[in-house]
Amino acid sequence: MDGLFHFLNAVAAIGLSADIFVVIWATLLGIVIGMIPGLTATLGVALVTTLTFTMQPNTAILVLICVYIGAIYGGGRTAILLNIPGTPANAASVLDGFPLAKTGRAGEAMAIATTGSFLGSIVGMLGLAIVAPWLAEFALDFTSFEFFWLAVFGIVLCGQLTAMDDPLKGWIAGFFGLLIAMVGQESLHAYARFSYGVPNLEGGFGLLPVLVGAFGCAEVFVVMRQEATQLVASKVGNVLSAALSSLRYTRTWLRSGAIGTFMGVVPGVGEDMGAWVSYAAAKRASKTPEEFGRGSPDGLLAAETGNNAAVPGALIPVLTLAIPGSAPAAVLLAAMIIHGLRPGPLIMITQADFFYSVVAMVFWASCAMLVLGLLLTRPLLYVLKIRREWLMGVIFVLCVVGSFAIAGRIFDVWVMIGFGLIGFLMRETGFPVAPMILGVVLGPILDNNLRRSLSISQGNPVDFVTRPISAIIAGMVLLIVLFSLPAVQRAVRAALSRIASPVKNNGHG
Amino acid sequence: MTRARPLVTDMIGGLVFTIIGVAGLIESLRMPRFENRNADPFTVPGLTPGLLSTVLAVLGVALIARAMAGRGGATPLPILNWSAGSATRMIFTLVTVMTYGFVLFGNVPFIIATTLFVFIFTIGAELLNPQRKLSLPKLCIGALVLGLCSAFVVRFVFVQIFLVRLPG
Repeated sequence: MDGLFHFLNAVAAIGLSADIFVVIWATLLGIVIGMIPGLTATLGVALVTTLTFTMQPNTAILVLICVYIGAIYGGGRTAILLNIPGTPANAASVLDGFPLAKTGRAGEAMAIATTGSFLGSIVGMLGLAIVAPWLAEFALDFTSFEFFWLAVFGIVLCGQLTAMDDPLKGWIAGFFGLLIAMVGQESLHAYARFSYGVPNLEGGFGLLPVLVGAFGCAEVFVVMRQEATQLVASKVGNVLSAALSSLRYTRTWLRSGAIGTFMGVVPGVGEDMGAWVSYAAAKRASKTPEEFGRGSPDGLLAAETGNNAAVPGALIPVLTLAIPGSAPAAVLLAAMIIHGLRPGPLIMITQADFFYSVVAMVFWASCAMLVLGLLLTRPLLYVLKIRREWLMGVIFVLCVVGSFAIAGRIFDVWVMIGFGLIGFLMRETGFPVAPMILGVVLGPILDNNLRRSLSISQGNPVDFVTRPISAIIAGMVLLIVLFSLPAVQRAVRAALSRIASPVKNNGHG
Repeated sequence: MTRARPLVTDMIGGLVFTIIGVAGLIESLRMPRFENRNADPFTVPGLTPGLLSTVLAVLGVALIARAMAGRGGATPLPILNWSAGSATRMIFTLVTVMTYGFVLFGNVPFIIATTLFVFIFTIGAELLNPQRKLSLPKLCIGALVLGLCSAFVVRFVFVQIFLVRLPG
C-alpha cells in the first residue's frame, strides 16, 4: 500500500506540474525519432541525453524515458508504411503490419500498434512496480561473487539471444566489449591500462561517445549504404474504432506484455527480442497461425505489445542492479549516473521516491504515446516523407556535437567515429553490436568484482561456485554455453526422441 | 552466392579477434604487478584483461576452426552484397563524415564547417540518388538553406541553452 501511495503521489506530481508539457514534447520527439528510418531509440536517447545536462535530474530522466518509449512505438509506423522497421525493435511488426497496409488497412494496423504499445507499456510498468522492489531487496544479499557472475551471465545470454543462429559471434562481440572497457585507469591501483602514455586513453572510452558511434554513426553508414525506400500507404481510415476493437485480443496482449517485460529484464537483450518472442508465442497459441505473416492483427498486436513492454522491463535491472536490460537502457543508466542518481540494490532504501517517479514517468509517457499516436496519425505521415539524403548529414552533425558536448574533448568525436566504423563492420560481418555495448558497460563491474572476489577468497576459485546464488548463476551460464554446442543439441534431441517414441508407440498401441 | 564466401569472412573475422586477444594477453602480462608495494597478486591490473583476452582469443580460434571445418556461415552476410550504387554512396559518406569529424570540426569555425559539410553531403547524396526530383539549382539552394539552418540551430541550442563551448 505504501508503494501505491508513493506511485499515486508521483503520478500527481507530474500530472499537476509543468512536467506534463515535457511529457508531451518529449514523447512526440521520441515518436518522430523512431519513425525516421535510421534513427533508433538508442541514438535518440543518446543524443537527447546531451541536451539534458542543464536540466534537473528528474526532468532529464523524464525526457529520456518519454523519448525511449516514444521511439520504440514510433518505429512501428515505419514498419507498417515503409516495410522497414523504424527501429530494430519493430522488425517483427513488419511481418503483419506491412501486409495490412498493402490491403488498404493501414489505419487499422496503426491503431492496433498504438493500442498494443500502450497496453505493453502498462503491463511492463506493473512489472516494474512489482518486480523491481523485490529484486532490489534480493540483490542486497549480492556480494562481489554474485555481481561477477551476473556480468558474465549478461554477456553470455545477450550474446546468445542477439545472435540466435550464431551465438559464437555474439559471445565474441560481448568479450570484445569487455576488453574495450579495460582501456584506461583501473580502480584498485590507478594504473592506466592499454594507454601507452596517451593522456586521452588514460580516462578510457566514454560510454556515450561509444554508444553514439556504434548506434548513431554506424546507422548513418548503414542507411546510406541501403537503397532508398518508398511510402506504400498515405491514406488512413478510422483509427479510433480499430483501436477499441483490438482490445478484444486480451490473451495476446497479456501474454505478450508478460513476455516482453521478461525479455526486457534479461541484460542487454531488450525490445527486439521482446517483440520476436512475443510474436512466436502468439503464433503458437493462435487458432489461425497460417494468417501470421500475411496481415494478422493478432501478430502485429503481439509484436508491438512485446517491444513496448520490454521498455519498463529493461528499467528493472537498470534501477536495481545498475545493469542495463537493453541498449537504450544502457544510455539511460549512463544518463542517471551523469545526473548524480545512483541506481543499484540500495535504490529502494536511499531513493525510493525516485524509483516511484520512474514508474510514474512510464505511466505518463505511455498515456502521451496513446493520445498522440491516435490523434496525430495523419500529420505524422509527413515525417516518413523526409528524404534520407536531407537528414543523414544533420544527424551526423548531431552525433559529432553530442559526443563533444559530454566532456568538451575532440578525442570523444574521434572515438565516436571509430566506433561507428567498428559497429558498421560488425553488422556487415554478422557480429551483433548489442553484446559489445553491454560488455563496455559491464566491463568495470566484472573487473572490480572479479579481483575483489579473488582477493577475499585468497585465489580459491571454489568460492565462486559454492555460494548458493553464485552457484545458480554459474549453472545458468554453463547451461547456456552447453546448449549452444551442436553436439549437445544433437544429444538432447536424440534423448528426447528416444523418450518420445515409446510414449507414441504406447499411444498408438 | 556459395557458402565459401561467408566462411572466408568468418575466418577473417576470427583471425582479427584472435590477434586482438593475443595482443591483449601479451600486453596484460607486461602490466606491472606492484610487488614492491606488497600488492595482493589477485588484484594486479593485468589479471582481468589477461583473462578476457584469453577468452577472446579462444573464441576467435573457435570461429576460425569452425569456418575451416566448413560449418557455420549459413547466415547471409551484408558485406557480401554490395551493388555499385551502395559502394559509391558508402565511399562518399566515409569521405565526407571523416573530413568533417577529423579535419573540419575543431579546426574551422563551427558555422562554416557545419554549413559546408551539410551542404556538400546533401548535394552529393542527392546527385548519387537515381530518384532525384529537384533540379541542380533548386538542390543547391535547398542544401545551402539546410546547412545554414542546421549550423545556426545546433550552435544556438548547445551554446545558448546548454552552455557548451563549441570548438573552432
